[in-house]
This record gives sequence, C-alpha cells and structure tokens, in this order.
Amino acid sequence: MEKRVVDFIRGLRAAGVRVSLAESIDAMHAVGVIGIQDKNIFRESLRATLVKDSDDRPVFEELFPLYFGGGGPPLQNALEEMSPDEQQMLKAVLEALSGRMQALMDWLTSGEGPTKEELEELARQAGAQWADSPQEGRWVTRRMLQKMGFTRLEEQLQELVQKLQEMGMSQEAIQKLLGVVEANREALAEQVAQQVGRQIAEERANRPKDLYSSDLMQKPFYSLSEEEANVLRREVQRLVTQLRSRAALRRKRGRQGKFDSKGTIRANQRYGGVPLELKYKKRKLKPSLVLICDMSRSMLSVAEFMLRLTYELQDQVAKTRSFGFYSDMEEISIVLVGNRPQEAVDAVLDNFYGRMPRHYATDFGNSLDTFFKNWLDSVDGRTTVVVLGDARNNYNSPRVDLMKQLQRRARRLVWFNPEQPGQWGTGDSDIYDYVPYCDSVHIVRNLAQLAAAVDSLMAGG
Amino acid sequence: MFKDTIDVRHRLGSQQYIASEEIGTVVYLAQSLCKPILAEGPAGVGKTELAKAWAAALGAPLVRLQCYEGLDESKALYEWEYAKQMLYTQLLRDTLRDVLGDANSLSEAAARLAQEEDVFFSENFLLPRPLMTALTSDEPVVLLIDEIDRSDVEFEAFLLEVLSDFQVSVPELGTISAVHQPMVLLTSNNTRELSEALKRRCLYLYVDYPTAEAELQIVNLKVPDLSDDLARQAVAVVQQLRNMDLRKVPSISETLDWARALVTLNAGAIDEKTLTNTLTVLLKYESDVQKARRLMEGGGSRGPNPRR
Repeated sequence: MEKRVVDFIRGLRAAGVRVSLAESIDAMHAVGVIGIQDKNIFRESLRATLVKDSDDRPVFEELFPLYFGGGGPPLQNALEEMSPDEQQMLKAVLEALSGRMQALMDWLTSGEGPTKEELEELARQAGAQWADSPQEGRWVTRRMLQKMGFTRLEEQLQELVQKLQEMGMSQEAIQKLLGVVEANREALAEQVAQQVGRQIAEERANRPKDLYSSDLMQKPFYSLSEEEANVLRREVQRLVTQLRSRAALRRKRGRQGKFDSKGTIRANQRYGGVPLELKYKKRKLKPSLVLICDMSRSMLSVAEFMLRLTYELQDQVAKTRSFGFYSDMEEISIVLVGNRPQEAVDAVLDNFYGRMPRHYATDFGNSLDTFFKNWLDSVDGRTTVVVLGDARNNYNSPRVDLMKQLQRRARRLVWFNPEQPGQWGTGDSDIYDYVPYCDSVHIVRNLAQLAAAVDSLMAGG
Repeated sequence: MFKDTIDVRHRLGSQQYIASEEIGTVVYLAQSLCKPILAEGPAGVGKTELAKAWAAALGAPLVRLQCYEGLDESKALYEWEYAKQMLYTQLLRDTLRDVLGDANSLSEAAARLAQEEDVFFSENFLLPRPLMTALTSDEPVVLLIDEIDRSDVEFEAFLLEVLSDFQVSVPELGTISAVHQPMVLLTSNNTRELSEALKRRCLYLYVDYPTAEAELQIVNLKVPDLSDDLARQAVAVVQQLRNMDLRKVPSISETLDWARALVTLNAGAIDEKTLTNTLTVLLKYESDVQKARRLMEGGGSRGPNPRR
C-alpha cells in the first residue's frame, strides 16, 4: 500500500502538482490514522494532505481511480450456469476462431480477464509509453481495444450465435450468454482504460523533466510553445509572491514619514504629556497605475503575462485601471475586477480576440486620442502610466503631442517594449518618437525582464 | 476528543452544523495529526461557522483572530501594557526611592534599578492577544484565524512559527510554548494566493457551495418554520441563481436570510410577486437583480449551466 501511495505521489508531481516531502509524510500518517477500509475517507484524507490548491483538484480526481481503482469491475463467468452439453458446444465454437478473437472471446466468456502482464504488453503495443496526456490516453485506449478485437466483436458474436443455434443450443441459453458477454465487454473496456491511464501516469513520472522554468524565464515570449507558456503561467504565481514580499518589505522600511507633532501630542496625553510614543505621518507608498496594453496579435503573449502579473499584484497597488487597444482603445479594468486571476485574464483575452477583425491596423495615435477624450480623468499627479507595446503604428500618426501632455500630467510615464533595441526605429516603429517623453523605457522580451520591470514600478511609489 | 470521522460528523451535526464527509475526515485528521486546517472557498459557505461548531462540539473555548491588512505581531500576539507600567512606576515611587535612596552614585543607582527591571517586564504587564491567549490557555482551545488572505505577507511568515511549533518568542521573557496544542482553523476567501510554506503546514479543505439536498437539509435545520415544500422551491431558485453569471452569487447565509424573510412575510408560495419583493435579500448588486429578474420573467432556462 505504501508503495502505491508513493507511486501516486510521483504521478501527481509529474502532472504538475507541487507535493513536498513533508506533505507526503503527512499523507502516510493520515493513512495510518484513517486506514483504508473506507475508500471515500481514504481519498479525502489523501486529498487534504497532498493537494493544497483547488486548481489541482481535477488532476487528483483524475489520477486517484487510476492508482486505487482496483483495476475496474470484475468479469462474470458465463460457463457456470450452463449445462455440460452447452459448455461443450461453446468450447467447440470458440476453438474454431482465429488466435486473437479466440483470446478475446475466452476472456469475455470465462470470467477470467487478461493478466496484468498481458494488459501491460498490450498497452505498450498500442503506444502507451509515447502518450503524454489524458486525451492521448483515450486514443491509446481505443487503439488497444481495437488490437484486442473489440471492433470486430459484433460480427463475431453474430456468427457465434448462428453456429450455436445450428448446434442446437436453446434460445434462452444464448440470450443469457450474450448478456454476460455484453457486461464483460464493458468491464474489460473499463479495465483497459484504467490500465492505460495508470501506465501513462507512471511513464510520465519516470520521464526526466525537460522543462526548467528558470530557463524559460529567459526565453523570449514570441518563441514560447503553448506547453512552455503553461509552465510559465504557473511560475507567475511564485514570481508574484516574491514581488509582493519585496514590495511589502520596501513599504515597511519606507514607512517612516515626517514627524507628526499633532499625533504625538494626542497619543501622549495619557502619559501626562511626556512624549513616550512618537508618531510619524504615513507616506502613501502604493503606486496607482494606469496600464495601457497593446492587444494586437503579435503582442498576445506579452500582454497576457503583463495582465497576469499586474492583476496578481493588485493588493500592492493603490488603484489600477487597465486599457487595451489595437486600432482603438477600450477599458478592460471592469472585466478584471472581481474574477479570479486566471478567469479574469482569460475573460479579457476572449473579449478582445473574440471580436477582433481579421484585418486591422494597430494605431496607437488614434487610441491615445480616444483615451484623452474618455478617460483622461484616470491620470493625475500620483499616477504611474505604463504603456506596453512595440510602438509599431502602421505609419499612422504617432500623436507625439498627446504623449507629451500625458507625461506632463502623470507622475511617471513608463514604456515597456518587447522588441530588441536593434529593431527599434526600423520599419513602422515609432518608439524613438516616444522615448523622449518617457521617464523610463524597459525591454521586456521575457518573463525575467518583465518581472524586473514590474518590480521597478512598485519601487517607484 | 472525537473517536472517528462519523463521530465528528455526528457531533458537529448536534451543533446544527451539517458536515460533509470531507469535512468530517479533515477535522478528524487535524485532531489526530495535530495539524492546522486551511479552509478555502467562496464567502458565506460556513467556514467560520465550522470553527464555532467545532469548538462547541468539543466544549472548548473559541479564540478568534480576525485578519486584516496591516495586522501585525503586536496586535495578534501580545503587547506591553504601557499605561499600566507607567502607573505602577508612579505608584511605586516611594518604594523606588527606598531602593535607590542610599545609592552613592548615578551608576550605582542605575545598576540597582537594572536588577529590579524584571518586575516591569513580567507577565503582569503583558497584554495577551488572541494567539498568546490560545497558546497559554489552561485547556485546549479552537483557534480561528479568519480571512488569512487579508493579512500581509510578513504576518503570514510570522504565523509559520506559531503553526508548526506552537510556540512564540517574546524577547523579554523567552520562548513560550503551548500548554495544550490548540486546534487551528485558518480560513481564506482566496483573494490572494497563500505562500507554499503555509499551505504545506496545513491540511487543505475546500468548502464549496452545497448540493441541493445538503442545502435543503441546512434550511430545514436552521429555519424550521419554513414549510418543506417552500424550502424545496427556495433552494431550487438559489441553486439556479448560482449557475448564472452574476457578480456575486448568493451564499448559504443569504439563502438562510431569504428563508427567514419568506417566513416573516408569511409567503405561501414563491410566486413572481414574492420573488420581486425579496430578491434583494439574495442578490447584492442591482445589475444582478435585474439579470435574475429577466431570467425569471422569461420563464427561465432550468437546464444546467455548463459553467459548473
């Protein structure tokens, strides 16, 4: 049993659930206390000790039956209820079948399914060791059932019935036999599916990990595969924790403001005016942000991670308003408020990319104009404005005049550009027109750079 | 102490708390493994209520620490009672004069005073806050740390020592260990991700909205005046609302409020008029109310929503 639990934990880890050594020890203790008589309670105790994130629950629910499912329902024996004559007839008919079909019919009628070794071998032949996900697992299961002869079962059964009828078996006995075979077929398919699932999970656990998030942090956004992006999305969580504690620490250290004489006198009334407690004015150190994101398709991954980071850091920011644009600007903070991070970011992306026309021209100048008309009140002397974009305007007017006004109005104007400096100013890039009006420009080609840039935002206050 | 998971569920039930099998298991494990529970889930599904029922079922006192942004150690753990210390110095002035009176030099007086300074930093002047109360209590207590996700990251880090070793260090007094290990329940509404280290030390419990049957049971238990038929209808409406895309979906506590409202209004059935009048008990945003009204008027699609 212990080995099973350890294997199960390995499977969970391979599927991306973080399980520490301390937690696996807890799980063992819990099993020791709870016992394994009641499967539900057993499952819940493993879940409480191993899975600490509600997002990981589906993985747990999916893997648990594979490891502790007991291999699916047992098969029934069809021969038991038959007279010796009928058994003889069935035997004769089965022997006439060819190799693979004979094995299959044997399993389905005798009540003894394939052994574990046979199942493993069949799964390997069907390619279980190459499969990587539950979806592929279903495909392997189908192939395996095909190899076992399930696809030809229907016609084989008809043939079988015909032969048995010719040999004079009663209609009633045949119906009974068919009933058992049908039940066994489902049970066997279930066993196969579980075997495949378990084998895939084990294979995955044995495979060396090839994606290291630290390397991925340095990889440019545009060259990330979907799988790598997924690893990074999880990584954002940890990154945010780091950023958050840095920001909180910074705020704490910087808490001392000017001496507060009024507050001090008031606080020390109770000591007869002897100033024992000194009071300081608190400085407001949380930045308030206005985020303007280029949402054109080339910017998709950067914009996504930027939104993720800022959304997760909402508690470190006094106020955020977010806007997205391609040819025109729209406010997206409304969607961002109130949802959980994952859902919120997805909702914004869906909203934008669901409605985006096939052909469009990024136009920051026009978008800025819209911003000035509608939302200029969101920018005041305490606001840090962040523009995330490659400044490729399709030769539209860059509206540098508006940019200049914006900088004068805001506390700081910061540009995040995902392009390498070598590409700046080439083609339709207007970045050099904007640079003079930015307080700082950051290159954010990968997650590491983006995180550093966001951190600098928090530091500026 | 609980005997097994069934005992847990039974005794929580006798405190008017209907515990699912999962809750029973986790509470039993928490007691057997001496681990804190971290309960997450949407607001208003009875996480705080669980702590109260737990304490009542064991007959143990409940110590509650409500977290908020800016909560720090001094408010959670202990404070020196400044004013009392000052008062004592004033009142004991004569005694102090006796002690220090025959000192020949300032340094001698200071040295003497230093010998006595323990008097002013003793437990007499210590103002215990919830964590300290829970640790030093003579009997086992249930410690509820409510809405931990609202506290700062530093406070979370500080909690780690308390939760894993059940001891705290007070510089002036040394380390204070728990007399009886308290049973700890942390709740979180998931507004931010908690640190790995904290999660690792806890058993994890996710409390979700109850199923229709469980909710009906709760309504019957807490609002016995509501007729069975009406309760069934009410729960069906709430369950349907939860499947809608609302800004804030109704929680159990709101279901109960609504049930009580129906009793008070002496409603015979949930018809359109009652619903229009009382919908604001369930839904707290105007846009949600309107959305729900539109759905109800349009006959409503009773089919399950793919979101859940």
